Amino acid sequence: MKTNRRRFLDQSSTVVLGAMTSLVSRAVVADDRSLPGQNGKILVVIQMSGGNDGINTIVPYADEGYAKHRKKLRLSTDRLLKIDESVGFHPSMRSAADLLEQGKLGIVQGVGYPNPSRSHDTSMAIWHSAQVGGEETLRSHGWLGKAMDTTREAVIGGGAKDPDMILVGDESPPLAIQSRRSTAVTLSSLSDLRLRRPAVAQPTIQNDQTPNSSLARFVDQTMQNAITTASVLEQNIEDRIDGSAKFPSTRLGQRMQTISTMVKSGFQTPIYYAIHSGYDTHAAQLPSHARLLREFSDAVKAFMDDVEAAGISDRICVMGFSEFGRRVTENGSEGTDHGTAGPVFLAGSQVRSGLIGSTPKLSDLVDGDLQMTTDFRNMYQEVAQKWLGTALKLPVPRQSLPISLFDA
Amino acid sequence: MKVANLAEWKPYEPTESRPWDLRLVHHLHRRAGFGANWGELQRDIDAGPQDAVSRILTVANLTKSFGDAGIGGEPKALTNSATDFDSLQQLIGDAAVSSGDINRLKAWWFYRMLYCGDPLTERMTLMWHNHFATSNLKVANVAMMKRQNDLMRQHALGKFGDLLRAVIKDAAMMVWLDANANRKGKPNENLARELMELFTLGVGHYSETDVKEVARALTGWTVRGGDFEHVMAYHDGGTKQILGEQGSFDGDDVLDILLKQEPLARRIAMRLCEAFFGEAVITDDALDELAGGLRDHDLDIGWAVETILRSETFFSDTNIGNRVHDPIQFMIGPLRALEMLDPPPSTLLLAEWASKLGQDLFYPPNVFGWPGGRSWLTTRTMIGRANYVSALCRGELHRPNHPPDIEALAIKQGCSTPADQSKLASTLLLGHENAPGDIEAILRRPASQLG
Repeated sequence: MKTNRRRFLDQSSTVVLGAMTSLVSRAVVADDRSLPGQNGKILVVIQMSGGNDGINTIVPYADEGYAKHRKKLRLSTDRLLKIDESVGFHPSMRSAADLLEQGKLGIVQGVGYPNPSRSHDTSMAIWHSAQVGGEETLRSHGWLGKAMDTTREAVIGGGAKDPDMILVGDESPPLAIQSRRSTAVTLSSLSDLRLRRPAVAQPTIQNDQTPNSSLARFVDQTMQNAITTASVLEQNIEDRIDGSAKFPSTRLGQRMQTISTMVKSGFQTPIYYAIHSGYDTHAAQLPSHARLLREFSDAVKAFMDDVEAAGISDRICVMGFSEFGRRVTENGSEGTDHGTAGPVFLAGSQVRSGLIGSTPKLSDLVDGDLQMTTDFRNMYQEVAQKWLGTALKLPVPRQSLPISLFDA
Repeated sequence: MKVANLAEWKPYEPTESRPWDLRLVHHLHRRAGFGANWGELQRDIDAGPQDAVSRILTVANLTKSFGDAGIGGEPKALTNSATDFDSLQQLIGDAAVSSGDINRLKAWWFYRMLYCGDPLTERMTLMWHNHFATSNLKVANVAMMKRQNDLMRQHALGKFGDLLRAVIKDAAMMVWLDANANRKGKPNENLARELMELFTLGVGHYSETDVKEVARALTGWTVRGGDFEHVMAYHDGGTKQILGEQGSFDGDDVLDILLKQEPLARRIAMRLCEAFFGEAVITDDALDELAGGLRDHDLDIGWAVETILRSETFFSDTNIGNRVHDPIQFMIGPLRALEMLDPPPSTLLLAEWASKLGQDLFYPPNVFGWPGGRSWLTTRTMIGRANYVSALCRGELHRPNHPPDIEALAIKQGCSTPADQSKLASTLLLGHENAPGDIEAILRRPASQLG
């Protein structure tokens, strides 16, 4: 039954698309059509909201300070998934460890900014805008929005019709994807992109009154294009039911699946954004943190597997960040309070795999907090330049060290 | 008729080759409002172009004079139902504000666009919402967003100077463009820049120094307790140089200076032409002439709109069907044409659909507003439009379900055969006759995206 249905879809899209080879190729999986200046590269940002406890994520087990500051929350060394002689993954991050083994995971250590804010709002706004400063600092646009604005200036009239940035989820669009001139949209699910009625051949504009108008032709083509995309989406969704790629049934897993389906369907959107909430672990942290890290790792792994199977993994980079880390010393309620620096994850086959930057020292603290070892603005700059092909003008932090996030 | 004798803006007069027919009347209603039903179209065919346009403008003027008198809302003189409309819309609007739920405010605006007797003013309000694009994403205050909307409506067809002063000196705009962060000695240039670049002059008609100096002059404008306030202690009273003038200017002086600038009228003329004309219809000469007329008429928006709506260019073949319907127009047009307003559709649902189709009221994407035109049509919104049509044809915009009944409409007009009914649906929805099929087939044609 399923097979028949798919075959029907195949045939019906052939009928609709007979005369439009370029549209077929646009919608076909792993098509290499791309926007000028963007090289068809795709960045998927996962926001780990609430302040992830980086110390219990990439655990510095060899650091004497670890056992000293983490009495109840200490993860036993033999359960950790060792990365090297001094640090290891949280035991729930099996999928992330697998990605690392495959050479597809970069872990940037100790990422932060000077004089860090412990306010969720302010710190998140700093990460979103790349404007470091207090609450009173003006932040109208986000770093991704600015990057897309710059790209857009370079390709004015480029005719990109899909949005520059898509938030997949039901949250309000974050500041990071707000911009002066680029388009960002929110999709709560793929049903927003599915035709409710089967795509029967649509009448073309030639039957209407204005056959020679370029606007009418544009509308006709856009409509056919949309119908094609809807059909391809439908197919991708069917394939996925057949089990070609397994995504976790978590909220993040489903969102990553949505993104994957869109990417595979030939969307030209370069930036996708998903929010993974719940990292504000002030009490009884162990079980919830373990669950969050498993959800995160499994979703990223499933996503990477899926794009790999589709043959487009070299166009993909996933970035997971949080607005701050937690305090080094646990609090009295088996949780941790707001801290400073933490790890940022980059996944992709072009990413420089392994530990990047230096591990913050638990013995060298400022007011009980970690000192950052990499300024996030350096990281953004590199992601923008090397990945998105866009110059991002950010104030260069003092004493900033050059980092290298991607394979040469 | 107060239209001057402008060479480029000759009024349209019916001729044998360009008669006043259903196609032109349909076009008038789609562009100046949100579409009309069969009875309204017939009424205006009989009335002729002069009276049909006058009717639209008179209703708008009535609204304006009531608005000015502080009564707000609709002209009571129209009909009894207009009074009902006014008290109902006030009820809905007030409830939205006290609920603090922006979705209810969107639903309120939909209610207005569906039911008010003055669609031109609603269309203009929508246009100004796009010109002074302010998003609740940052303002995060339903009362402020409603007040701004009411101000835009009140001045929608009045003097641009009044509109500018009202909207700029209002809390929503202050919050949106960071006026709170603009202090003496620590200027924030956000409002200053957008005021010149977007709201009045356009790029190229001011310098970066002007931006800095205007920002200084605007210090002191802020929001306290949800209201605009000029706090003297925050104001930089020093001497500024703005667009060639020198003085210890404040915000009001800045607005006076801007309103005197020559490029302003052209920018407003351009905005109006964007709203009423399709692609590549208006020549530079026509734009210049309209801008000149605006200057001569003290930036009277109503004068310019009347000039446009009466013009030959407005009713020309190059203009008809040469504009992408914005989502709101696309959504409301068939509801009005097919008389699907009694029982009423769910305005909350409509607001949700508008957002899916890319026009989330009170949430323009950025300071530029919605780019409009071809950019309304993307993969996502095309699929959304097709799905909206399905929902409409299955009656799902109503609770309980209430599908359109074209047969009943057609029989009322004396059309009894299926072919006649199809023809009626096609002329009603597209303004011309050659689209076969049922309502859904007609509305899913590419031609239904244009008007």
